[in-house]
Amino acid sequence: MRSIDIHAHVTPQSYIKAMKEGQVWHGVSPGPLDIEPQLEWTPEQRIKDMDSLGVDVQVASTGAQFYYYGGDAQVIAAMHRECNDEVHQMTIDHPDRFKGLAQIPMQNVDLAIAELDRCVNQLGMAGAMIDDKVNGKTFDEPEFLPLWKAAEQMGAVFLIHQGGGTLVAPRTRSYHLPNTIGNLVDRAVTFASFVMGGVMDACPDLKICLAHGGGYACYGVGRMDRSWDVGRLPQIPQPPSAYLSRFYYDCLTHSESALRMLIDMAGIDKVVFGTDWPFDMQIDWPVAWVLSLESLTQDEKEAILWKNMEKLLGMSGE
Amino acid sequence: MRSIDLHAHLTPQCFIRAMREGREWHGVKPGEMGIGPRNSWTPEQRIDDMNSLGVDVHVVSTFSFYYYYERDPQVILPMHRECNDEVYQMTVDYPDRFKGMAIIPMQDVNLAIQELDRCVNTMGFVGAMIDDHVNGKTYDDPEFLPLWQAAEEMGAVMLVHQQGGQTLVRDRNPNYHLHNTIGNLVDRAVTFASFVFGGVMDACPDLRVCLCHGGGYTCFGAGRMDRGWQVRPEARVNISSPPSSYLNKFYYDCLTHSEPALRMLIDTVGIDKVIFGTDWPADMAIDWPVSWILGLESLTQEEKEAILYKNLENLLGI
Repeated sequence: MRSIDIHAHVTPQSYIKAMKEGQVWHGVSPGPLDIEPQLEWTPEQRIKDMDSLGVDVQVASTGAQFYYYGGDAQVIAAMHRECNDEVHQMTIDHPDRFKGLAQIPMQNVDLAIAELDRCVNQLGMAGAMIDDKVNGKTFDEPEFLPLWKAAEQMGAVFLIHQGGGTLVAPRTRSYHLPNTIGNLVDRAVTFASFVMGGVMDACPDLKICLAHGGGYACYGVGRMDRSWDVGRLPQIPQPPSAYLSRFYYDCLTHSESALRMLIDMAGIDKVVFGTDWPFDMQIDWPVAWVLSLESLTQDEKEAILWKNMEKLLGMSGE
Repeated sequence: MRSIDLHAHLTPQCFIRAMREGREWHGVKPGEMGIGPRNSWTPEQRIDDMNSLGVDVHVVSTFSFYYYYERDPQVILPMHRECNDEVYQMTVDYPDRFKGMAIIPMQDVNLAIQELDRCVNTMGFVGAMIDDHVNGKTYDDPEFLPLWQAAEEMGAVMLVHQQGGQTLVRDRNPNYHLHNTIGNLVDRAVTFASFVFGGVMDACPDLRVCLCHGGGYTCFGAGRMDRGWQVRPEARVNISSPPSSYLNKFYYDCLTHSEPALRMLIDTVGIDKVIFGTDWPADMAIDWPVSWILGLESLTQEEKEAILYKNLENLLGI
């Protein structure tokens, strides 16, 4: 049994080193480094933890706190290149254990395309992880279309993952709700923006993976369909639910019944293994969790744990 | 077969008359609010439509556009009293067809309690319909506790329903009707969380809260709230059981626009907590709601009867 985790983060060693030495790092001022110990782990320590969890491969993404879409694009492009080079080095040093997902400066679409191209076509990365929004803009904005077209051409995967400031925060910051509800509603809005903005029609081969099981997308699609039924979405030829199977979703639902519903609605070939390593909101023993789910068949468990990811990343036969 | 609809709105005739006569109405100026054709139907026209739909009873709530929580409570209290008196008259004229759901000025908790008391104890109303927040305050705010305690004592049902359009989604993407199709559902999840994580359901064990639109994303998303409760101390300040253990303390209408979502709701919260609700006469209503319920293949006949009338008869003691 193999397992390939598409949702696993890296805190760059270059950042940690700069902070510890009191150096400015691409515009980030040094300060007390207040991070959990596991965020500082080296690739070798990370591999030991993966071994204990039964995870064979992590598709490593630099953490969402490094999006910095609000920063100067040239400064952040340099930051992202350094992050991506570090992830690339992990994939060179441990090619059987790591694949890479890039950081790209979404505040400048041309630079984002250039860095995605470098990472995918030169460094062999799977794609990029991006936020649900870019300085208030959603992905139905026409300015992003060249990026989707370029990614489609490259066969790059976008992993969508919030970068703080979810929709729930303006209502309440209590009880961790900006994460526990906010991540999930942000993902539903991103699904809707891609679909209702016509991006999925314009880019039929675009590969998008919605983290956190796509949030509320599958459960809530019936109400989106209703708005299509009553003529409020004239710009798309099919109801939103028809697009569910056009996306990929990680299995990070923290609920067996939610995961079962996701599989039933999106299709078993669209659900991939993703854990949110190494954060506290991750699945504790993710391989064991998937294997233990009584409502999934063995074939479904294998599809989620590795087979779908091998197909998505073109790794079949390795 | 009976059917009792908990989620059916009224545009008050007193408001329509004032607008048509060009008169200001409790601070609302003529032309400030539009009126659709179905919204201006008389009680008799409404009954004709109910007959065509197979709906026996409407629990009539003045539409959420009339919350006006941001305005002077001394102005809005008389508005709400006039609305409630009109609903009361419907229940007097057609006692077999209408029950009443009050609108109360939540911007002043004392006045809200007073009007709830008048409606429930003097006029036989079921309870009150309220927004998901009051001028940005959620229901974990201690200022609302006297209202919950008063409602608990009266046996009043609080029906939670967003103010049209002003949900959490609008600031992210104002297009595609998402403020409604995603916004209503996330607002309801935040309200569930505010009641639960805020300790209100522990403080008021007999409080009856019904979450419109099937409780939104609540049941599907409870797994991630549970995970937040497990790993985050701030999620445990008020409650010693995980949030999912509170799912069956609430009522939910059946307005999911999705059979698998309704099935999951029933399986998650219990069949005795799901109630018939249609959103009459909005375009986002269920088209043929009784037929829709009766046509659902994944529900047993007993479950259909529980939803259509038995649960609400138990809840309302009728």
